[in-house]
Amino acid sequence: MFRTKTWAAGVALTAGLALALAGCSGDDGGDDTDTGTDTGTDAGTDDGGDSGELISVGFVAVGPEGGWRAANEKNIQDTFTEEAGFDLSYAPATNLDQASQIAAFTSFVDEGVDVILLSATEGSGWEDSLTRAQEAEIPVILIDRGIEPDDPSLYVTRIAPDNFVVAQGVAEWALSALPEGGNYFTLEGPAGVGVVNERNRGWDDVMGDHPEFVKVGAQTANWSTEEAKSVFETVLRANNNDIQIVFAQNDEMGLGAALAVEEAGLTPGEDVKIATIDGTKPALEALAAGRLSFVAEYNPLFGQTALEVVNTVLEGGTVDSYIIVPSGTFDSPEAAEEALPSREY
Amino acid sequence: MNAPSPTLSARLAELVRKPFFWGIVAILLLLVVNLLKDPTYLAIRVNPSNGNLAGNVLDILRASAPILMVATGMSLVIATAGIDLSVGSVMAVAGAVSMEYLQNAGAPSSLGAALVAIAMSIGLGALLGTFSGLLVAKVGLQPFITTLVMMLAGRGLAKVITSGQNTTATNEQFRWMANGYVLGFPVVFLLAVAIVLVVILVVRRSALGMMIVSIGINPRASRMAGIKPAGLLVTVYALSGALAAIAGMFAVSSVMTVDVSQTGYQLEMDAILAVVVGGGTLAGGRLSMGGAAVGALLIATLDKTVVFLGVPSSATPAFKATVILILFLLQADNVRNLLRSRRPRPASLTETVETKASVAA
Repeated sequence: MFRTKTWAAGVALTAGLALALAGCSGDDGGDDTDTGTDTGTDAGTDDGGDSGELISVGFVAVGPEGGWRAANEKNIQDTFTEEAGFDLSYAPATNLDQASQIAAFTSFVDEGVDVILLSATEGSGWEDSLTRAQEAEIPVILIDRGIEPDDPSLYVTRIAPDNFVVAQGVAEWALSALPEGGNYFTLEGPAGVGVVNERNRGWDDVMGDHPEFVKVGAQTANWSTEEAKSVFETVLRANNNDIQIVFAQNDEMGLGAALAVEEAGLTPGEDVKIATIDGTKPALEALAAGRLSFVAEYNPLFGQTALEVVNTVLEGGTVDSYIIVPSGTFDSPEAAEEALPSREY
Repeated sequence: MNAPSPTLSARLAELVRKPFFWGIVAILLLLVVNLLKDPTYLAIRVNPSNGNLAGNVLDILRASAPILMVATGMSLVIATAGIDLSVGSVMAVAGAVSMEYLQNAGAPSSLGAALVAIAMSIGLGALLGTFSGLLVAKVGLQPFITTLVMMLAGRGLAKVITSGQNTTATNEQFRWMANGYVLGFPVVFLLAVAIVLVVILVVRRSALGMMIVSIGINPRASRMAGIKPAGLLVTVYALSGALAAIAGMFAVSSVMTVDVSQTGYQLEMDAILAVVVGGGTLAGGRLSMGGAAVGALLIATLDKTVVFLGVPSSATPAFKATVILILFLLQADNVRNLLRSRRPRPASLTETVETKASVAA
């Protein structure tokens, strides 16, 4: 993939830079000389001539999907800057289409980038692409979304808040909010997405032991407010408004459910309690206004963690196959009001 | 040959041959299936909290409004032997423009702001449609390719307008469009029906419909007959764009949020299905806006039925595809002939033999 001449020059340059910059951009020791593709690790300087020495990072991203995703991807882009020594290529999917992601992934492998960050729109079907990256010795780091079936030998690590734990937290809250139990409905993301399965598993894990909670049904609303409103309006009719809890797997769908509840002449928060996952600004505003009852944060700001992992991996270090990003919860209007002023997304 | 006496059975046979007849049958069947699940499915109640009518049927009518809009535009485009794949993206553009404008206008109950947003959206939709139309009519690009490009460009444009965000706005008048009621009926459906009727009247009362169909049948012959295809094509694509923009506003005003990747997503497929269910053919030369409206209602009914029955998310696409496929099979002449010849085979056989015999004699 690389020419010997460039490689030799790179090593020489790196050695010089390594001495000059020791301790400037993290601890990129002499390991660089082992692998040619790593020569960029030390290019922490901004000297024009060094632009070729930046670490090239291919980010196969989801693209516009909602407030959470926007915050997450902006955070990654803001972290992997040229000042920090990276040359990030951002490749959002076309309309959440996996085919466009695979195409972007393949071209990153062909370009021979130093590292690939992947947020898969769909969990399954990544084996071939990941194997190709492995053959090209390009480390792949999963951002947020996992792959299915989960095979940690195909990637370096997955950095994400834990969907399972977050969904468990939502279910725990439901137990305390309605001690006598009730009917619940789940508004899911698109069928087949890893996040959806994980959030379902976390919720079911808790609810499985509580027969007083009855599952009325589950439907996808494709993460969309508009669809969630339309779906939930029909669900309310199908069940004569006899639903006490809605588990919306993202904020947007929760807001759509709140609109449907209001339209049916019911009061969200009293007749129907709506719990969502993500913790975006509009959801916290709705929580402060009492239209949502519970918002579990799914912390999107982990660019810094990703950056540290990338540096460690390129230096030949090892990392855990799953790095959990800590997340919080908001269970009252007061908690939401407190968090709102400093909300970044 | 029999004397042309339109007996009841003959009229029925005529109706059965109409392609959208099976669309109506399918809607009724879906309603029956829903009734089996819940005997009060068709009940329409008065919502005690706001005095408006509420019920599953009204939900279906409301949900059908955006599809009615895009299907009407699509039926005209398809009649010219074209296709407009960009309608879903134009919806997103219109939604993005109106939400972005209303958010920055910051006038929560100003009728003026709502009207400006509506005008801007329809204008932009028509502009995008005109652009497609010009590429098709003047440059001679294939409609499929042209509108495919516009589909990608449109969604990109929507993302640029909102800087990739899902923009939210507040404006009571704009919100009323999708959520309001007039005499207990949802405004959005009344608006959609009114717009469809106006388009039908204009197209049918003038020679426009005939000329559109003639382009679809044979553009060269129609040009020789004195019809100028270019202007007509541009008009048709512009109209499709404008109608898609209205559909986009219906969609976003229901939640007052534009979701740049989801608003109108794959609605071009719904529109094409609606047109074909209603008796249109992708080869062009056939125009049935009434049929397209039946198709639009069918798709809305299907969407709502899936949720009402609680079909699991993973099985939803298969369920919808199966219903549509069965419908197409029933519409297909080949299949109908096959079914007909199966059952009374002995009779028809003897008949043909007899006719042959009589010819021979």
